[in-house]
Amino acid sequence: MIKTLSNNISFLRTTLYISAFVILVVGALTYRSITEVTKSSELITHTYKVNVELEQILSNLKDAETGQRGYIITKDSVFLEPYISGRSKINNSFAELKVLTKDDTILKESLIKVNSLINKRLLAFQTSYRSLPKGDIEDPNFIENFRNGRALMDSIRDNIKGIIKLQNNLLKQRRSEYESDLMATPLLLFSLLLCSLILMYVAYNSIYKNIKRLKATNEELEIFKESTNQSEIVSKHGSWTYNVKRDEFTYSDNLYRLLGEQPQSFKPTIENFLTYVHPDDVEKLTMQVEQMKENIELPYIYYRVVHKNGNIKHLKAYGKSVVNEDDETVLLGTTADITDEIISFRILEERNAELERNNKELSSFNYVASHDLQEPLRKIQTFLSRLIDEEEGKLSAKGNKYIDRIQNAATRMRLLIDDLLQFSRSNKADKVFEESNINLLLEAAKQDLAEVISAENAVITSDTFPTITVIPFQIQQLFVNLIGNAIKYRMEGKIPKINITHQIVEAENEDNIIKPKYSHYHKITFTDNGIGFDNQYADQIFVLFSRLHNKDQYSGTGIGLSICKKIVENHKGYITASGQPEKGAVFTVYLPIA
Amino acid sequence: MQEDYINITLADDDEDDRLFFTDAFDEIKITTRVKTFNDGVYLMDYLNSKDATLPNVLFLDLNMPRKSGLECLKEIKQNPKFKDIAIAIYSTSASEEDIENTFVQGANIYIKKPSDFKTLKKVLSEVVTINWQYHTNSMNKDNFLLRF
Repeated sequence: MIKTLSNNISFLRTTLYISAFVILVVGALTYRSITEVTKSSELITHTYKVNVELEQILSNLKDAETGQRGYIITKDSVFLEPYISGRSKINNSFAELKVLTKDDTILKESLIKVNSLINKRLLAFQTSYRSLPKGDIEDPNFIENFRNGRALMDSIRDNIKGIIKLQNNLLKQRRSEYESDLMATPLLLFSLLLCSLILMYVAYNSIYKNIKRLKATNEELEIFKESTNQSEIVSKHGSWTYNVKRDEFTYSDNLYRLLGEQPQSFKPTIENFLTYVHPDDVEKLTMQVEQMKENIELPYIYYRVVHKNGNIKHLKAYGKSVVNEDDETVLLGTTADITDEIISFRILEERNAELERNNKELSSFNYVASHDLQEPLRKIQTFLSRLIDEEEGKLSAKGNKYIDRIQNAATRMRLLIDDLLQFSRSNKADKVFEESNINLLLEAAKQDLAEVISAENAVITSDTFPTITVIPFQIQQLFVNLIGNAIKYRMEGKIPKINITHQIVEAENEDNIIKPKYSHYHKITFTDNGIGFDNQYADQIFVLFSRLHNKDQYSGTGIGLSICKKIVENHKGYITASGQPEKGAVFTVYLPIA
Repeated sequence: MQEDYINITLADDDEDDRLFFTDAFDEIKITTRVKTFNDGVYLMDYLNSKDATLPNVLFLDLNMPRKSGLECLKEIKQNPKFKDIAIAIYSTSASEEDIENTFVQGANIYIKKPSDFKTLKKVLSEVVTINWQYHTNSMNKDNFLLRF
């Protein structure tokens, strides 16, 4: 935007320069042609004047000649009048011509020649009419004089005619020049004016477009300003500028609100601002403002302000220096109210501390369970074993039966403690996810169950698994629990068979996956041919301590499947069970593909 | 003469456990001399005394008042005088953390106290007859916890 505008400005400037140049050229040309035209018309007038004077001279001479003839015929001196006046008139004309022809040497020479001829002629007049009274007109001298006069007169006429002809030619030439001047000038002027008009139109067009664009930009800016105002209010921040050289601040409306004041309700100066700053922070902030004036890159500044009603707000400010068009350093700053953040952070910290305390309590409980509860139990069992070893046969049948019962109860208690420990271990916070070879984890699980697998001749078949990112020891535990479960709840008289399959599924195609967070999951199914269960208990079996069978029939604590559920949840996965009594059960585990 | 005995020492604050321990060795057909201490402080005082007979195998309970088994283990491993003593951790619990810590500190074997007297006798006789020289060389984290 700015670039196109500046391009346009340089274009406009060029247009202006060209237009000014054209106008100057037009002016100069107009001046020149007016001078030319004036000069041409002056020259024409000049030629005319010369011609007129020459005609005048000729006519005066003719008058003189006519007068002379009249005098000769009548001897009346009245007829001599034109000759006497003609003389002075001719002189006047010559004086006039002298002035007119002072720059034209050819004409001058011709005129001098004419002048001498005229003088000769006039002399001839004089001689002829002076000689007249002595003789008569038949006097051969007189006739000779007369003839001479006539010849002179012819020569004068020829000369003058020659000059006039020359002058006329000159006039003709000048007129044609004058005319072509008159023709060419308007054409040139017109085309130049046309050029100017076109340039003016182009310039106007460009200005119009710019104005339109500026208007649109202005509107956008207006909207942007308004939305900035709104966003400042919503996000609780204000902005300010500081002109370092002029020591001038501007504050946005919302900055005043952050101080608990009406927009623009006081003069934006650092002194006024500091009156709102918490007394403990004034020194620090003043120092930081000083640094702000010098440093280019500024860190965040944290301080508190106190509203007039006593509310304390935490503010965070950031400024960046820029250089404006007048080459002055201006700091552009943003100040945000982070009171809410600080309060929530404190609450979060408190909750974290509480959680930590809870966790500590939980782990001390774990220790109690693992150590302190086990110790007395172990002693009971050890003493029992010694009692049985050493006092065997010395007790009554009833006594032996009671000891047997005590031993059973103690064994069960140990199982419970061990399983509870296992369960709380699956809760532990330090879960480390690793890319794991699931096939190896399955093998390790089978190893853990080797004794029972071989005792029951269980057959386990499985697909080949890809590597999956899991908490390895937990997934191994999951396999142990699910396979162990399948073997434990086998059908009497049937070899337990467990088939483990793997496939990658899309979350949306699986009804068991509710509100999935991932698009694809590893689906691992454990299908057995055991006693199965009624599907109405499908959810219940995962609940802690819940059992579907009497503990006389199947040993168990009701913790194993709860551990499975916990482990799968730790992996952000799903576990479901479905069963058919007397046929078998299917456990399905979904692990997300992240 | 002294060579015929295997010197066994136990530090355990639990009276019953000390009783099981001594009874078990009484019944095992191996010639041993068993000494017991009520906690880590008594044990270390004895071991550091001039006329102490250093045991061949030392059994350490972990959870003891005043000075725990782990602290005893650290002290013993820092003193070259005790470098020939094989150390067996003898504890009620077998938490990952305890196993890890004692393994790192250089204990030789970790025994979870059995809850059956026959098993106890079997485990103890097994441990005192181990060729420690050989066992220590082949020791790793997987066979550190004694399985029975």
